[in-house]
Amino acid sequence: MAQQPIVQLRNLTKVIRGKKLIDSLNLDLYPGQITGFLGPNGAGKTTTIRMMTGLMHPTEGEVLIEGQSLQGHYEEAISKVGVIVENPEMYKYMSGYKNLLHFARMHRQVSKERIDEVVRQVGLEKRIHEKVSTYSLGMRQRLGLAQALLHRPKFLILDEPTNGLDPAGIREFRTYLRKIAAEEGVSVFVSSHLLSEIELMCDRIAIIQNGQLIDIREMHNEAETVYYVEAEPLAKVQEVAQQLQIEYIVQAKGLELQIPKEQVPQLVNELVAQQVNIFAIQPQQKTLEEQFLEMTGGGQIAESHTK
Amino acid sequence: MLNLIQNEWMKLWHQKATWAMLGILVVIIIAFSGLNKYYEERETRDWHTVEKEQIETYTQILAEEDAASNSYIQDEITISEYRLAHDIAPPNGMTVADFMDFGVDLITIVTLFAVIVGASIVSSEFSTGTIKMLLTRPASRAKILTSKLVTTFIYGLFMLAVNFALVWIVAFILFNGNTGTLLEVVNGQVQEVNVWKNLMEVSSLSAGNFIMSVLFAFLIGSVFRSSALAIGLTMFLSFMGGMVVMLLSKYSFAKYIWLAHTDLTQYANGGQHMLTGVTMPFSITVLAVYALIFLVISYWSFMKRDVTA
Ligand SMILES: Nc1ncnc2c1ncn2[C@@H]1O[C@H](COP(=O)(O)OP(=O)(O)OP(=O)(O)O)[C@@H](O)[C@H]1O
Ligand SMILES: [Mg+2]
Repeated sequence: MAQQPIVQLRNLTKVIRGKKLIDSLNLDLYPGQITGFLGPNGAGKTTTIRMMTGLMHPTEGEVLIEGQSLQGHYEEAISKVGVIVENPEMYKYMSGYKNLLHFARMHRQVSKERIDEVVRQVGLEKRIHEKVSTYSLGMRQRLGLAQALLHRPKFLILDEPTNGLDPAGIREFRTYLRKIAAEEGVSVFVSSHLLSEIELMCDRIAIIQNGQLIDIREMHNEAETVYYVEAEPLAKVQEVAQQLQIEYIVQAKGLELQIPKEQVPQLVNELVAQQVNIFAIQPQQKTLEEQFLEMTGGGQIAESHTK
Repeated sequence: MLNLIQNEWMKLWHQKATWAMLGILVVIIIAFSGLNKYYEERETRDWHTVEKEQIETYTQILAEEDAASNSYIQDEITISEYRLAHDIAPPNGMTVADFMDFGVDLITIVTLFAVIVGASIVSSEFSTGTIKMLLTRPASRAKILTSKLVTTFIYGLFMLAVNFALVWIVAFILFNGNTGTLLEVVNGQVQEVNVWKNLMEVSSLSAGNFIMSVLFAFLIGSVFRSSALAIGLTMFLSFMGGMVVMLLSKYSFAKYIWLAHTDLTQYANGGQHMLTGVTMPFSITVLAVYALIFLVISYWSFMKRDVTA
């Protein structure tokens, strides 16, 4: 990508009591891009996010925000970041509005109008003047999102933000993130266990396991796709596949062919020429869930990885 | 910085405990003044007669008793004679100044309230998890801690102001009619007691205990992130500290323990420190050094440690 990254993790490492929780992480995050952060429980997502927000000090390496080191120029660097770490804890004894006022005062130039605007965006207008202790979990999440957006950050870090949101809320949230990424060029880094969510929302995913980044991939890339072809007679289809040197797996009513997208028309033409009756041809992308489980090896929580 | 203090002040007054402490202070003052007014005993006879009677009684006692306990009684006789000679009436019932003295006693309670606030202003952010919301902002950790420390002291000063203002108002309403002059004998000379100067002196010397207790509670609260521990330990030391110093008084290092110096009021009215050879400048120096140590540890711990709340 030609653009300058907004956030760069350089060799980020965290050791606590001899345990290497995060091991030399390198990652660039770009404007306008939504990056999902995946990993099994205890993989180190929250720990990484805590270091990216200055809550924890890295043992080694650094976090750069627009080229500035978070450790060296904390105030300047963090002013561009909006954060939700795990549950957004608010001051329960104050109203949602007072909470926002409180955080607004900590930033330069957040006007009262901006507070009202954000409140409207997260759909809390009706309840904003009530005490946070009377809010439901989802309402607290919405308030959490509001405080993260107040100062129009260029970079948004969200640790499990959809936890507790209702389906409509999740959908709004997703649409909203896509919107600020596309329109304002905000870079979003979001960790979640909801893979279907990540799949719908993200342009790119980073997968962490045992404190190491094991994969970074762009979503919706169809380089290696599988097409399912349902046709009769199947024997003819197999012949064609062999002719075109396509690998295939035989299924009950059709074949799974490993074939790049560009070759699909050629295949169809050939099948038609051979007078095969085609009922369906459909791309078979592996779901993110399948890919994720494949890569991280199932649901086992890794043993505390000593090194 | 002002914004941060404004924030802390807002959060403080949205908590019930803050209002409860204010309420308790007001109730104590009003209840105490009411009781005093109710049980107040006033002399109805003319004060000249009373003074004359007193001189007679004291002279009789003086004739019977041995010389050891005489100086007090001797002084009382001198004062009574002086009153009659110069026509200076004694105070009748409780005076405004007497009641202000009660306000000075209440500094202990106000100190306790400031300790409670100082102990929890940092630790509560950790126990509720709001600390991560607070620290991921363009304000350094040093600034945030400073705003909390300053707010604690502003709260303490505010409560002191409320205390003295209220005590004064109540005293003025209830006891203003009670006039009269307090006399004392200094070096054989009868002179007027400067009650207001004494009040001022004791109040300002109470600052030692006030500042040290708050700083200590703040230290424990921010290092151990537990308000219960901070309040408990501070209270324990302020009750037991004197005793500990007494037990250790035969060792020379005892005078380097800050607890030996927190009660500066022992120097009031020309008083002496309980350890021999210790002077007020020395006490203040020791306190200042400890105050600095407490602050350095608080800041260092708050700025360096990871936040996992
Ligand atoms: N303060 C700490 N001291 C020691 N170990 C810790 C500490 N905090 C986290 N860990 C360990 O670090 C590892 C990563 O934890 P982390 O919370 O980052 O995981 P996560 O990826 O966010 O998991 P989850 O999906 O459950 O939220 C875990 O093994 C955890 O036990
Ligand atoms: Mg986590």
